[in-house]
Amino acid sequence: MTTITTQTITFNVFRFNSETDYLPYYKKVEMEVTSEEVVLDILNRIKWEVDGSFSYRRSCRHGICGACAIKVNGKGVLACKERMNDLIELFGTELTLEPLSIKRAVKDMIIDKEDFWVKHEAIEPYLISHIEEHPEMECAVTPAQAEALLDSDYCIQCGLCHYSCPVIEINDDFIGPAAFAKAYRFNADVRDDGIDERLDIINAPSAGVWDCVKCFECAEVCPKEVNPIEKITKLHNQIFEHGRAINNVATRHAVGFAHSIKKHGLLDEAELVRYSEGTLPMLMKHGKVGFKMFKVGKVVMPWNMPKSDKLDEVKALIKSSSTVKF
Amino acid sequence: MSIPIYTYDAVIVGSGLAGSAAARELQIAGKNVAVITKLHPLRSHSGAAQGGINAALSDADSIELHEFDTVKGADYLADQDAVELMCQKAPSTIRWAERMGAAFSRTDDGKIAQRPFGGQSSPRACFAKDRTGLTLLQTIYEQALRVGVDFIDEWYAADIIYEDGKVSGVVAFNIRNQEKAIFNAKAVMFATGGYARAFKISSNAHANTGDGLSIVARHGLPLEDMEFVQFHPSGLSGSGILISEAARGEGGKLLNSEGERFMERYAPNKLELASRDVVARAIINEIREGRGVGPRKDAVYIDLTHLGKEKIMERLPELRDLAITFLGLDMIKEPILISATAHYSMGGIPVDIDGHVRKNNDELVEGFYAAGECACVSVHGANRLGANSVLEALLFGRHVGQSMVADIDKLFLREAEQSDADAMIEEMERILTSNGKETVPGLRNELQQSMTDNAGVFRTEETLSKQVEIVKELRKRFANIRIDDKSKIFNTDLQEAIELGHMLDYSLFIVESALARKESRGAHYREDYTTRDDESFMKHTMAYMDENGDISLDYMAVTPGKFEPQERTY
Ligand SMILES: Cc1cc2nc3c(=O)[nH]c(=O)nc-3n(C[C@H](O)[C@H](O)[C@H](O)COP(=O)(O)OP(=O)(O)OC[C@H]3O[C@@H](n4cnc5c(N)ncnc54)[C@H](O)[C@@H]3O)c2cc1C
Ligand code: SF4
Ligand code: SF4
Ligand code: FES
Repeated sequence: MTTITTQTITFNVFRFNSETDYLPYYKKVEMEVTSEEVVLDILNRIKWEVDGSFSYRRSCRHGICGACAIKVNGKGVLACKERMNDLIELFGTELTLEPLSIKRAVKDMIIDKEDFWVKHEAIEPYLISHIEEHPEMECAVTPAQAEALLDSDYCIQCGLCHYSCPVIEINDDFIGPAAFAKAYRFNADVRDDGIDERLDIINAPSAGVWDCVKCFECAEVCPKEVNPIEKITKLHNQIFEHGRAINNVATRHAVGFAHSIKKHGLLDEAELVRYSEGTLPMLMKHGKVGFKMFKVGKVVMPWNMPKSDKLDEVKALIKSSSTVKF
Repeated sequence: MSIPIYTYDAVIVGSGLAGSAAARELQIAGKNVAVITKLHPLRSHSGAAQGGINAALSDADSIELHEFDTVKGADYLADQDAVELMCQKAPSTIRWAERMGAAFSRTDDGKIAQRPFGGQSSPRACFAKDRTGLTLLQTIYEQALRVGVDFIDEWYAADIIYEDGKVSGVVAFNIRNQEKAIFNAKAVMFATGGYARAFKISSNAHANTGDGLSIVARHGLPLEDMEFVQFHPSGLSGSGILISEAARGEGGKLLNSEGERFMERYAPNKLELASRDVVARAIINEIREGRGVGPRKDAVYIDLTHLGKEKIMERLPELRDLAITFLGLDMIKEPILISATAHYSMGGIPVDIDGHVRKNNDELVEGFYAAGECACVSVHGANRLGANSVLEALLFGRHVGQSMVADIDKLFLREAEQSDADAMIEEMERILTSNGKETVPGLRNELQQSMTDNAGVFRTEETLSKQVEIVKELRKRFANIRIDDKSKIFNTDLQEAIELGHMLDYSLFIVESALARKESRGAHYREDYTTRDDESFMKHTMAYMDENGDISLDYMAVTPGKFEPQERTY
């Protein structure tokens, strides 16, 4: 950086005070933005130079405390870690600043994060183990065992993934990617004794890991590369490995998936639905659609199912990895 | 309108390492404890510590060496009984944090790994990659949560209830809606963290506004050694955001505009690994003499390119990320721009070795405790060594929690009254209704800029006297402010105004204490008195504020120990 450049940017700033406003509104603010600035600098300048009543959360200002998460043009960012120049390159010179979740807005950029913390606490986010108050030695943990956490301990609870997850938007019970990543963090720790307890919590119908639709949004948005979806997948496996699976649609879906792959090396979607939901419920729920699909030749009958040319390899793989039978 | 009064055995203000560790001790001892914090606990600044936490764990190291390094680093102003306690308890404290879940980096045989830091005789800093504070803060908070500590977050503690030498509660308001409450307790602890936000260029969080110190000082209680503010050599140019000492530890070279490795002139033996105060002064001197670099010529280069991509990605990935974010410079390919940044507060609320707050040199306040960066137990003296302060916060937080447990049954509960909240309500009303012409951001900016200019790395009689007048003048103007937000919901405008009031008050302690200390010791460097003067100044400053806001100074003896003062060379 040998020179500092500036550009004029128009910000549409989400404004709302739940005490006095019936509806939110957007305020236009024009500013000279320098190449040195991050989004938090802009929030500060709006408050300090334009309108002192503008509110947002922040603390550390270098991407480690998780307080300052907001959305810019719909993209979730940590305000103190997001360079203005990068956003301008991406979206141009008109930018909309909004809170992480509009339906939870309390005051400007500040949202009510209660649901996030409740779910965080629900998964028992602590090492479950007898705590030796005056230990002579540390627990022995090899570098490889320490690495098994896969950076899940790096989550700063910013909530970006949680409020970008489409399932959270429609299902209030869903525990959500950040809390799942946290559950993984302790389940992966060799010092922890609470793995089964935690698996039972994250295995619950509608709240648990089975309701994730695998959209990868959480991995995409995370500013710390925690990659929650990767941890969710690992939790799926742990549920089977530890024999905590309960016989329900979601787990049957997973097992049925494996059956299909084992049999054909490919996914037999109709059979998967039948297996997961049961024959009769399937016909009642999906019968109409199924019949239409059958008419246009979209449903393959089991006896006509093609086989993968790598079937032997797939079978060997499945044999070595599967652990549970219903 | 009546204000609810909640009653607890103990109330703690601050939920960083110190506050959370203390709270857990009280809770597991069956005491009824609440922790009030203006942030969510996990946003506390303890989470920002990157480098490490000290303990003599290895066979090559010893507790005595840790003690010696600490006392020497402190330029002999530390109290040696406190240093001894800290160094002795350090190994079991680190292992206790490990048992609770902290994800430390490991050696091949499964032990906690350690790395070298400035001023240490042996690699002593335990670390978790470059996120040591994060893992510790999360761990202590989680385990406090597990045992059922009552965390009351986003509440602002604005006052203590202090009468007849005894503290019996905290007065606070809810930042979400301005609901007010009195937290009545037998024992109160302050763990409110550091105060380097009084300076323009600072590594500290926005939240580090030193509220706890001024709240205490406004009741006529003393603050100790406030002149000792540590300036870290490597803050990113412009923002002051920290580039950890690890960057120099791994071999970073400092260069000026002429491409000279200038540390050769200031510390020919230790070069970049001389102590923090020495390197910070060298950098500022280069800039003052016109050999600065960058668009404002207010920085020097730290060159890490010779380390190579692999080593940088393995050892300093977070630091590389910070430089890219804040400077747009990639340390793998090019040198980055750094300068000294206000970083750590050695002084604070004076306490005895068990965390009891001092009323003066001889007396203690009943039912009042402090620990962590806001306190001065004095383990850091005039200059603290890297990786000793997270240790202090964790260890003394826990230790003071235990001393509260031991005291509580002997303490009586003086019942709070509605009028105890008067001072806070008046302060809030005054700010909300004040219709002057000064703004909070305007005054704060003047304060921070002038503190950096006049009470920074270099100080003289002239700059400090000037700064005393500036702070006094700013305090007058502060009475004439106006804020934009008059609403009740998340009124951060009001909060920033209250915080500015605190910053103005404790800043006066910093400059008055510095003006009177006519010597150079550790982080306090007087260009007009360039040497250490043990004869006159081997003593702690104790400063008091009277009702008019004027400061008077007293001094208190340093607790000696096995290490005699020597000249400090590295
Ligand atoms: C960038 C950086 C890196 C660092 N790296 C290291 C390192 O590697 N090793 C090391 O040893 N040290 C390091 N330090 C220093 C160390 O992190 C701190 O000294 C230590 O964490 C302080 O802990 P604490 O518990 O005293 O306070 P904090 O963690 O700062 O907590 C203060 C608490 O008080 C609360 N609070 C304050 N005022 C109020 C109020 N009015 N009402 C309610 N609540 C209030 C806050 O909300 C917060 O919860 C570093 C410091 C910085 C700035
Ligand atoms: S991958 Fe799953 S958890 Fe992640 S955002 Fe998508 S639905 Fe949510
Ligand atoms: S997983 Fe990533 S995005 Fe989600 S809360 Fe943690 S740090 Fe934020
Ligand atoms: S302010 Fe801490 S992450 Fe942005």
